[in-house]
Parts: sequence; C-alpha cells; structure tokens
Amino acid sequence: MDELDLLKKDWNKPENQNFPKLSYNDLYTMHLKKSSSTVKWIFIISLLEFIFWTIISFGIKDNKSMKALKGTDAETVLNVLTVLGYIILFYFFYLFYKNYKKISTTDSTKKLMESILKTRQTVKQYVVFNLAFIVISTVAVLAIEFNQDPNFGERAHEAAASGHIFMFYSKIILITAGILTITITILLGFYALIYGILLKRLDRNYKELKKMDL
Amino acid sequence: MNKDQEHNFLELLEEHQNIVHKVCRLYTNDYDAHNDLFQEITIQLWKAYPKFRGDAKFSTWMYRIGLNTAITLYRKSKRRVTTQDFDAVQFKIKAEDYDDTEEEQLKLLYSAVKQLNDIEKALVLLYLEDKNYREISETMGISEVNARVKMNRVKTKLRTILNP
Repeated sequence: MDELDLLKKDWNKPENQNFPKLSYNDLYTMHLKKSSSTVKWIFIISLLEFIFWTIISFGIKDNKSMKALKGTDAETVLNVLTVLGYIILFYFFYLFYKNYKKISTTDSTKKLMESILKTRQTVKQYVVFNLAFIVISTVAVLAIEFNQDPNFGERAHEAAASGHIFMFYSKIILITAGILTITITILLGFYALIYGILLKRLDRNYKELKKMDL
Repeated sequence: MNKDQEHNFLELLEEHQNIVHKVCRLYTNDYDAHNDLFQEITIQLWKAYPKFRGDAKFSTWMYRIGLNTAITLYRKSKRRVTTQDFDAVQFKIKAEDYDDTEEEQLKLLYSAVKQLNDIEKALVLLYLEDKNYREISETMGISEVNARVKMNRVKTKLRTILNP
C-alpha cells in the first residue's frame, strides 16, 4: 500500500477526528481577538519606526549644531526635506496598510502570491527610500552649510593659501562618506534583521508557490 | 458584515470547524501552537467571509483560507513543547488497534509529513482529506496536471525521508 494511503486510513479514523468542539459563542469571541499575522507585524513595525524617527527629529531639533543652522539656507532645505520625508513615509504606511488588508482576505493562492510579491516590493522600496533620503539630506545640508558658514570659508581660504586645498576637501569628503557608510550599514543591519526575519518565511513560501505554478 | 451574515457565518464555521482543526494539526506541533493557528484562521475567515460569493463550496473556501493562513500569515509560535508532541497527546494511536509495525510506520509517516515544507503539507492535507485532483487544483489555484505532478513529487520526497 502507498505510504500516503496508509496515512489517509489513519487520518480518517473516527478517533483521529475527535477535535475539541467549539461552541457558536466560543467562535464568536475568538474572532474578536487580535490577529498576529506576519503582514500585520510589518505594518506595526513600520509604524513604530515612524514614531522612533519623529522622536529623534524632535530630540535633535534644539541641539547645538541644529541651532547653528538657524537662519541659513540649510535650515530651509532641511525643513523642506523633513516635510517631504514625512509625506513619503505616510504614503508607505498607507501601502503597508493596504497590503495588510489585501493579503489577509485573499482566498486564491495565485492572488496570495501576487500580494506576497507586492509586500516584498513595498518593504524593499521603503528601505531604499529611507537610505537614499539619509544620503541626499546629509549631502545637501552639508553642501549648503559649507558654502555659507563663514568659519568654513575662512578655513578653506587658509588651506588654499597654504596649498592644502585638495587635502582639505578630501578630508571632508572622506569623513562625510565614512559617517554615511557607518549609518547606512547600521540601518541595513537593522532592516535585514527586522524585515528579513519577517519576510523569510513569506519569501520561502513564495518561491515554493512560484515553482508550483511553472 | 451585517448581523444576518455574521449569524450565517458562525453557523457554518461551527459546523465545519474540523477543517480548521485539521489544518492546525498538520501545521503545528503542540497544543498552544494549534490553538494560536486555529484563532488566526478564524480571524482570517471572518475577515474574508464578506467576499465569499458561494461559487465554491463553503468547505472548499475554508480549506483555501485555512491553508493560505498557515502558509503565509501565521507567525510560527516560538513556544515549543519539546517533551510531548501534539500528535502524541491529541491523536494518540491506540496500541491495541494496530500491530507494532503499523504503529511504528505511522509514527514515522507523521514525522516525515511534518518535515515537508508548507506548500507540500497543503497538498498532503488535501490528499488525506480525500480531495480529488480537480478539488486540489481549485483549492491551490494550480492546474490539475500540475497538482498531479506535485503530488507525485511529494510522495517521492516522503519516500526519500522515510528511506534515506
């Protein structure tokens, strides 16, 4: 006899069909409990992350270097970038929420596959956006700051006078690039850890479903 | 969902709840995980019910949602009962009903099925539930030929697990 047929015989035995029977009321209360699905967690984490960044941005608003930016073009650019950043972040929440809503009420495996793909894409775009945003805002603010800061201008003149202008700019570029690389690595690590763990199973099952559909 | 719909849904769910239990039985290893998944599937069924148009049987639709939840949405419980396997507690094979060889073989078979991936488990569940290939293909959203091919592959894989 086929192995699976042996299993089927056992599976369908009445004593193996004795599951605890839940009443109408038990089932009613059950649906009121919270869902803990993967897609829901992606949504919740993105929300927590948003709150975290908001707190950070308020925290650094009054520090010394931010005060130094007051009244300069860099402050305007930073404000514009912050508003733009928040608009895009809100858009991502909306997408995460939409994915969560859509994926949880899908009943066809094919549609489910598409939703999984969409969720992965959104997460990927979200990570790319966050990293690009950090790089662009850092470079933009620093460029304006260096251009307008009298202290910086003075030092650049001194360096030019002593013939070390190349060294001077190289140092600044290297330091900025170094700090950005460290920040990006930390963030990438964070995203890989949080979303990587959440998406791992989705990813594996997506590949399986895809193989089946070929 | 309005009150009538809610009432209809709960009655159908009460009647067919064994389907949810069966999905949980195959996808989880202990009592707590079984209950967690049962709850998650119930929530997803509830959410999806307004979209259920009745073009498939309610039971077929339940298998779909149940399996999709187990495959995609369910966060596997970190709690693991290492001392007692859920099957051993809930579905203890009565020794007097079987000869030792068959009992042993069944234990090995159940453990082999648990080693399959989530998608393969779905195929096995539908097979154990005596669904024909047309029903399997409808539930999984793949072609009938494909379902047959995949099922044969799963059988081969099980054999490999059993006889390494």
